[in-house]
Amino acid sequence: MSTAVQFYVSSIAILTCINFIAVWGLDLQYGVAGIYNFAYIVPQAAGAYTAGVLALQPASFYQAGETYIGGLNLGFPLPIIGAALAGGVVSLLMGMIGMRRLRGDYQAMSMLVIALIANAFVTAQTGFFNGPTGISLIPKPLQAQFGYSLVSYQWDYLGLVVVVAFLVFLLIRNVTRSPFGRMLRATRDSESAAEALGRNTSRARMVAMVLGGMLAGLSGGLLVQYIGAWAPGSWLYPETFLFFTAIIVGGTGNMLGNVIGVLLIPTGIIEGTRYLPQIGYPGLTDALDWVIIGLVMLAFMWFRPRGLVPERRRKRALRGGAVRDQDAQLRTQLQGHEAGV
Amino acid sequence: MTTLLTVVLFGIYAGALLSIGSVGFSMQFGITNVLNLAYGAVLTAGMFSDYWIGGGSSSVWLAIVLGAVGGAVISLILGRGIVASYVKRGTTLFGMAMVTIALGLVMQFGLQAIQGPADYSYAVSHTTVVHIGSVAMSTLQLIVIGCAVVLMLAIHALLRYTTLGLAMRSTAADASLARACGVPTTRIRNVAWIISGALCGISGALLGLSTGSFNSTTGGGFFITLVAAAIIGGVGKPYGAMLGALIVGIASEAAAALIDPSYKDIVAWVILILVLLLRPQGIFAEFASERELVA
Repeated sequence: MSTAVQFYVSSIAILTCINFIAVWGLDLQYGVAGIYNFAYIVPQAAGAYTAGVLALQPASFYQAGETYIGGLNLGFPLPIIGAALAGGVVSLLMGMIGMRRLRGDYQAMSMLVIALIANAFVTAQTGFFNGPTGISLIPKPLQAQFGYSLVSYQWDYLGLVVVVAFLVFLLIRNVTRSPFGRMLRATRDSESAAEALGRNTSRARMVAMVLGGMLAGLSGGLLVQYIGAWAPGSWLYPETFLFFTAIIVGGTGNMLGNVIGVLLIPTGIIEGTRYLPQIGYPGLTDALDWVIIGLVMLAFMWFRPRGLVPERRRKRALRGGAVRDQDAQLRTQLQGHEAGV
Repeated sequence: MTTLLTVVLFGIYAGALLSIGSVGFSMQFGITNVLNLAYGAVLTAGMFSDYWIGGGSSSVWLAIVLGAVGGAVISLILGRGIVASYVKRGTTLFGMAMVTIALGLVMQFGLQAIQGPADYSYAVSHTTVVHIGSVAMSTLQLIVIGCAVVLMLAIHALLRYTTLGLAMRSTAADASLARACGVPTTRIRNVAWIISGALCGISGALLGLSTGSFNSTTGGGFFITLVAAAIIGGVGKPYGAMLGALIVGIASEAAAALIDPSYKDIVAWVILILVLLLRPQGIFAEFASERELVA
């Protein structure tokens, strides 16, 4: 592959893996726990800013007139760990404010307003993260180990992101299969029924909120360390809508559906059109991308609101064993009889 | 003293601009029970239709007429053509929020694709400055205040003294009972979409005119402030929306004068969150009840 093609392929793969992490986190909140978090981009932004200011030198070092807090110049895993923690803390605060028992559309709207407030506040307060211009020149992690060659660094970073995404996959799979995951789904399907069975549903939702927020923060940290800059324009509310579109197109409450959704929407539409020959004026392609994404959402809400891969119906026998396994056992027994064993 | 007068006068002006849209939003929400997050895009569409059809003319009266017509047509198509179909299909409340946000984004970015990278701006208007005490206001701002007062009185007269207004109030209070009493609720909802769209378009056109230059995102931020006004007053209550608009207008002007102009919107939005936080039962009790979701 030529260098340009390698660069193109590897950067799309990196962004796709980062989006897997972000979308899995949001689906834990929305698809599994039933939280309408329309401010999901805020913990991602918190993670990105945190990782940025942890990795950067102090503002005075660059003499560029930027103002931001931090500038600790920390080495590789620390900015990303800090990003995940920041995402969790911000989600905890958002959950305390926005997770009242409101009607579904009201919850979505109050979360949307929280996202707007956060963005406007960071823009207005230039002291925290350099206001509207944002932070830039964020150093790439592990450059000494990965080497300074642009293309080989890309592949190495992709390797790192794939490993992190796989760990996140295992984490979420275990959480959703655990009794806790079952409780989250019960809370989503009928909060009063789950409460009648003695479950603390508000705490369960808050845990899902924080865990999802940590994944958002993690994805933001990985993203900012790769793209090197972050500003209020990077986290406007349509970005959250993009993640929701991925989830609804792919299928809520299951990770395979999420993967398909990410490949089709953020990767297919946003990244896929990024390097197309320019049509019209600069920015026309972006605007048309969003029109298409909105139309895709409308089409799926009409024809297939449960997504391409609907959530599997889980059946449980009384003692908790999976019904499906019993069926399989029965079938092998029957087959055994038929075969005359 | 000058600061206080500035805050009050500009607050009234901001409140006037907000009240037109927030009364429309409130009325449509009360009658159809659909939280229409595409309302911001209708606002922008009102702005654009005035600019396009009026050819950038800075006439206030033309803006009112064109904004009203543009907003009403788009709102009717959106409400009856699209939103009502999704409701009939059984889309959930959160699903409706998704659908209306999607519609808003399609419209906003569609307009942006047509507009291109440069903002639209009105030719320098020949407004004169009027001094009230020590505060200078433009005649345009005074006309906006006047328009809002006239429109509010008209809405009041419509709701109070006409059969249509009675039908609208009864549909908002209990749609199935109203239908049983012979109120043509479907037609009433059409009227609600049209009136709310017209008010929204007027609000947008006047906003574009008084800001001077605008783009496809201008309506979005203003819409959330307008929702804040509507919710503070108690959604679905047009009179509450008028009061809410005044409160939000004065509060955001106070924030602009006392903290920093960039805090204008933030203050309004924080008030919205505080209302949702401190009086959730007000909204919860009234709107999470078993009212039928209709459009």
